[in-house]
Amino acid sequence: MSRVRLNHVSKHYGQTVAVDDLTLDVANGEFLTLLGPSGCGKTTSLRMIAGLIEPTAGQIFFDDQDVTYIPPRTRNIGFVFQTPALFPHLNVADNVAFGLSVKGQKKDVIKPRVEEMLALVDLAEYGKRMPGQLSGGQQQRVALARVLATDPRVLLFDEPLSALDRNLRDSLKYSILDLQRRTKKTAVYVTHDQSEAFAISDRIVVLDHGRVQQIGTQTDIYLNPQTPFVAEFIGATNGFAGTVTAVGGSDEDGRVTVGADGVTLHCRGRGDVAVGDDVLVYVRPENIVVLGDGDDAEYVNVLEGEIDRVIFEGPMAQVRVDVGGRELRADVSGGERLTLITRRGRIRLGFNDASLIPVPHAGAVAGS
Amino acid sequence: MTEAMDLPAPAAKRSRRRPVTRREVVLILSHAYIWLILIVFVLPFLALFAYSLTGPGGEYAIENFQYVMGSFSENLVWSFIVVGFTLVLDLVIALPAAHVIVRYSFPGKRLLFSALTLPLYVPGAVIGISLVLVYNFTYHLTTTVWGLVLAMVVGSFPLMLMPIVVAMRDLPIVFEEASECLGATRLTTFWRIVFPLIGPGVSAGLMLAFIIVFNEYLVTLFVHPPGITTAPLRVFNLVRTAGLLPTTAALAVTLQLISFGAVLLFFKVFGTRYLKGTYLL
Repeated sequence: MSRVRLNHVSKHYGQTVAVDDLTLDVANGEFLTLLGPSGCGKTTSLRMIAGLIEPTAGQIFFDDQDVTYIPPRTRNIGFVFQTPALFPHLNVADNVAFGLSVKGQKKDVIKPRVEEMLALVDLAEYGKRMPGQLSGGQQQRVALARVLATDPRVLLFDEPLSALDRNLRDSLKYSILDLQRRTKKTAVYVTHDQSEAFAISDRIVVLDHGRVQQIGTQTDIYLNPQTPFVAEFIGATNGFAGTVTAVGGSDEDGRVTVGADGVTLHCRGRGDVAVGDDVLVYVRPENIVVLGDGDDAEYVNVLEGEIDRVIFEGPMAQVRVDVGGRELRADVSGGERLTLITRRGRIRLGFNDASLIPVPHAGAVAGS
Repeated sequence: MTEAMDLPAPAAKRSRRRPVTRREVVLILSHAYIWLILIVFVLPFLALFAYSLTGPGGEYAIENFQYVMGSFSENLVWSFIVVGFTLVLDLVIALPAAHVIVRYSFPGKRLLFSALTLPLYVPGAVIGISLVLVYNFTYHLTTTVWGLVLAMVVGSFPLMLMPIVVAMRDLPIVFEEASECLGATRLTTFWRIVFPLIGPGVSAGLMLAFIIVFNEYLVTLFVHPPGITTAPLRVFNLVRTAGLLPTTAALAVTLQLISFGAVLLFFKVFGTRYLKGTYLL
């Protein structure tokens, strides 16, 4: 149980900047996730917290101890790797005992502790097995037991589920969260999978190209993406580039009106934009409504377009609509709305101002 | 089941009548070829073995081998001493060397690796002459067994290094990282994690180095101190001075059997335990 702080940490590999000026504060007992695409610097950051990599600049603190340049073995961390990395020549019990035995603990201390840990991950009967005789999910649970046995100050996870199949991933991710809650340990978790990050985190740090894009809770990141990257990474695929033409209106916190290539969009208000600013306006496919006759009045924004392609995916249909040369994706669900979709022809789409997210941006093209 | 048992019988009857197929001819020829190769390779050894069993004046063949245990035992003991020291030194140098070569990068690494493996490509006689020149500066090396051991280390070290380097390259670094994150020092990590996991490489290196050093006579001829004659050198000397006697053949056969035994031991112990895949996930 420790507070983990990163103070302006950077890592350079020659000319390449892997992590650029990362400042983080992970509270005691918090579950923080570093989320981003591959190459965004999330694993590098985690390995610096572990001490497997030394930062080029900046400091790392566990509570008030500066651990920036001390080796992993003296940091008292629990690192769960992408592969279980169980020592193949030792049986499960010896693997779990390894951390205690290298710290010089007595046999009579180690044995009950190992049994306790194996029971914690529901593998009490597996102590005598060799790692090769266990399934991938069981191996990763042993790896969890192995790091918990040493009572680490911080738990670090480097995409621990990515090598497992889908069903196993779902169950194991809740086991990880459950164990973290029960042991009240501070955890830093790295993943590229946003649903994983959203499911288990207290807070999420979105990284891209070594820089923090946004730090916040699931709601913050989902509803108020701070940069175009975050909006697109979290699944807002429809973007319009435009300029703010008016701020304020009927909405309490001031609706933002954006003119984008001949389309006028009324968006949810936000405090940090002014008339004349370049913004990207995002709308999620699931927030677009296909309009029937007479529905237009209910929506502030109505666009008309030509159906390009319809893909039925079980309970919902993905509709690609060509609106004045711009392709929009709408996910339509519910039987009633589905009947409005035809294979071809014109279609009207409506969206509320609340579901349009303006993101300040300096003159780039949406969707690029 | 009974139906299946009955069916092949008439088929077998029919096959007796039909002519030999082209496929069967190919099969017979390939078997013959394999046996020919086997005989060509094993024949010299068999001939030597047969000769070692013939006695001078029709005496019992076993006496040749009793002679090996008696008069030649000193040479065998020296061989084992030299090979023992050499393997220990090889291992002590090769383990850290392989670790550094695989896990770290530093300027001149390729050059170092090439220099270390140089003895593999240099003829034994060249190594021998070079060592005589070098040893002339240090009196002690030419008079004790250590000169001989060091010469053997120079010649056999690459054979120890290569398989260990390969084994360590194949070992994912994540095991070492996991060990260090669990609180182990580098030394503990090496002995408790890395060393057992590169076992196949280490044992292969030991076997290769053992066989080469145990049978080496050329370099020994150059650098052996007075009073120390290893078994292969004794065979060479005897053949040169007295011609090929059945007793010398018996010593040679003994050397062969020991080498063969080392290979068998390797495959028996390490071949089953490590090579069958329990050592890596």
